[in-house]
Amino acid sequence: MPLNHVDFMEIFIAILTYFAYIFIVVAYTVKIVKYLKLPIHLRWELYPVIHEDAYHYGGSCFENTNWWEKPRKIRNIKGFLWLLKDYFTLHDYLKQNLFYWLGLYPWHIGFIFIITFHILCFFGALFMVSGISISHNSQDILGIIIYYAILFTGVLSFISGAIGSIIILINRVIDKNLKTYASPLQFLTYIFTLIVFLSGLYSWYYVDPKLEEYREFWVGLLTFNFIGVETATMVHIILFDLFLIYLPFTRSLHYITRFFAFFLIRWDDKPNIRGGDMEKRIEGQFENRINWSGPHIITGKSWREQ
Amino acid sequence: MDILDLGKDIDVLINIEPEDLIPLPYPYDDPANEPLIKKLTDDQKKRYEASLDGVIAIGIPKPTTKEEEETFVRRFLSGLEKLLSLENNWTFLQPLYHSLEYCVKCQLCNDACPAYIASGRKEIYRPTYRPEILRRIINKYIKKKHPSLLKLTGSDIELNWQLVARLGELAYRCTLCRKCAQVCPLGVDNGLISHEIRKIFSQEMGIAPKELHESGTMQQLKTGSSTGITPKALANIIEFMEEEIEEKTGKKIKIPVDKEGADILLIHNAGEFISWPENTMAFAIIFDAAHIDWTLSSDLAGYDAVNYGVWYDDIQLARIARRHAEIARALKVKKINVGECGHAHKAMIVVADRVLTGELNIPRESALPILADIVLNDRIKLDPSRNNFPVTLHDPCNMVRLMGIVEPQRQILRKICPQFREMEPHGVDNYCCGGGSGFAIMQSMNFPDWRSVVSGRIKLKQILEVFQDVISVDTKKYVCAPCSNCKGQIRDLFAFYNVFERCNILYGGLVELIVNAMVDIKKPFIEWEWR
Repeated sequence: MPLNHVDFMEIFIAILTYFAYIFIVVAYTVKIVKYLKLPIHLRWELYPVIHEDAYHYGGSCFENTNWWEKPRKIRNIKGFLWLLKDYFTLHDYLKQNLFYWLGLYPWHIGFIFIITFHILCFFGALFMVSGISISHNSQDILGIIIYYAILFTGVLSFISGAIGSIIILINRVIDKNLKTYASPLQFLTYIFTLIVFLSGLYSWYYVDPKLEEYREFWVGLLTFNFIGVETATMVHIILFDLFLIYLPFTRSLHYITRFFAFFLIRWDDKPNIRGGDMEKRIEGQFENRINWSGPHIITGKSWREQ
Repeated sequence: MDILDLGKDIDVLINIEPEDLIPLPYPYDDPANEPLIKKLTDDQKKRYEASLDGVIAIGIPKPTTKEEEETFVRRFLSGLEKLLSLENNWTFLQPLYHSLEYCVKCQLCNDACPAYIASGRKEIYRPTYRPEILRRIINKYIKKKHPSLLKLTGSDIELNWQLVARLGELAYRCTLCRKCAQVCPLGVDNGLISHEIRKIFSQEMGIAPKELHESGTMQQLKTGSSTGITPKALANIIEFMEEEIEEKTGKKIKIPVDKEGADILLIHNAGEFISWPENTMAFAIIFDAAHIDWTLSSDLAGYDAVNYGVWYDDIQLARIARRHAEIARALKVKKINVGECGHAHKAMIVVADRVLTGELNIPRESALPILADIVLNDRIKLDPSRNNFPVTLHDPCNMVRLMGIVEPQRQILRKICPQFREMEPHGVDNYCCGGGSGFAIMQSMNFPDWRSVVSGRIKLKQILEVFQDVISVDTKKYVCAPCSNCKGQIRDLFAFYNVFERCNILYGGLVELIVNAMVDIKKPFIEWEWR
């Protein structure tokens, strides 16, 4: 592998990559913890609720007399799979706005696969460190699988993400409904992601058709034996690192918070049982002092004392 | 119009013109004959904030001095800060946080909003409009983001009293039907944002529609009912109901009141006693015939299931819910049954579930499943041919989309109404009647016209469409709306467009149809006359 870069750049992109990954994990964790630590709220579910027996038409336990006597069956896995499946189809968008979906879908596929690509690069590097060769003619079947999986996810993400970025950008510009509410930051995000995906595409097409450099780079990160990469690959790695740092400042966490919104709000029909844990938590909330100043409110007294 | 127009000194931001509205089917397919929303008088416009759409729902008095304007804005911001605090808003903080933080403005919810669509897509009614304004205010005035960051994130906004007042009015152009939330792939709830804005106005600024607050929750807690019915008046009403039942059906029924240890405490929306006593009478007839062990309560607020707090004020919601539960506990009943009132269902059975603790956590259920049990298991004898006229069902959002009670009412109608037909869409995908979230009872100035012309328009369209093959006055038709507020809205909607006279469509509840089919009652229970 030819090394065209001075040691400084090797160290720089290695540190930047470590930082980007640590940063996104910490920033996302902080946001997730903040979300999950929010207090229990009043019930505000919307039907259909996925774990209900009558989910197919939106029915609920309330359709029965003495509903509280019937056992409550919760199948979280059903909801989890439903949400997961939707990530790969974006079905609601397809159903309701095909034009928007045509940009959104490849854009999101680009994200999903670029993340998968990097995870596979990490595991590929792990295998390489442990002596398994990653190539199309590897002695180890795992090496062949990882080789093609990295190639497939990487190339697909670059192409799909680039196409998606362009279409979604066009969508936001020409669709009046979308344009009115789009912020400069949103356009910046589309342009940024376009550059990230295009840089990956360029690097693959002109410099590294087998995407070997990424694996080598990751081996370097894992062994602290940093290596240099071609300029095009280096540019893509830097851009992707910056993209990871940028992500927590966007609404990108909706990938995860969507799960919370469905399980903790939209499908949250957990009844409050006498003497149960939930009741204890609610009792705790009743002790909060209210500062609202409306004339009908006893300001300064707790919820219980109102 | 531009998003930022909300704070600009403009006479009226939008005008609702007949040609902009979505067309209605025959015989309302000529926009030239579209009844207009009454214009406000000069005096009304002078006294109250009316520059949003020329309609007044709340009636916010205009400030007369600069100081008053500043105080108005300051109080709003103070309320907004409290809305975002755990102590003051634990009740909805997590759903609010999610909806504020994770909307990607894809506008997928737009087509789900009946007011936005019916109005001809007026920008201010767009479901994402209010949240956009609120988000911008939060970014600039609560989070105090740097000006360059505000520009970058599209959070430019200049707060003034007019913007705040218009935002307050705008929170009452959304019926909280939450159809927008239902279609959001990310779980964002723009209906909730309207709910939360209403809370700032009520809980901090003391501003709420009179019908919801002063003569609503406050009166209910003080005198027993938002209708003004006192326990003493209730006794007279019950006596009247017993006489009426005997006169109409020949049945001598003693309506049980304050019966300790009864299986069921039935609580009606007290509006039924006044506007549709045939509904409460029908319940008594059915429960008596099916030998249900039930009772009404004459205790303060125990005979009025409404809880308007669910629409605008969490403290009022909790106070009323706990009051209802206390009455049931004192009566030692086994459970509370909620009559045909959608929001009371949602408030008492679902939302209040997390404010009722200990002994106040009494089992609560809808009356619809027990009615279905009575009808489907032939616990009373019914003759469906007595209901042999076209019937359709309006799904109250609170019972259906917000609670999942979809089938019991349909099972009943399929059994007792040979010509039952569904509107499209229906069930959890239904459209609001246009009177949700308190609109049906709000009678301020020209607001009732707005809810007929705009928020109720899609429902009227659905009703006309479902009866299009029998639209002539020669065929009598019935819209079954098992919800008091929905009935109130449909009544006003039909009156506004003369639907009864022009199309012979009557509206009413579910129990009336059941009693109408009872074989041991000689005369038809449903009287085919407008009321």
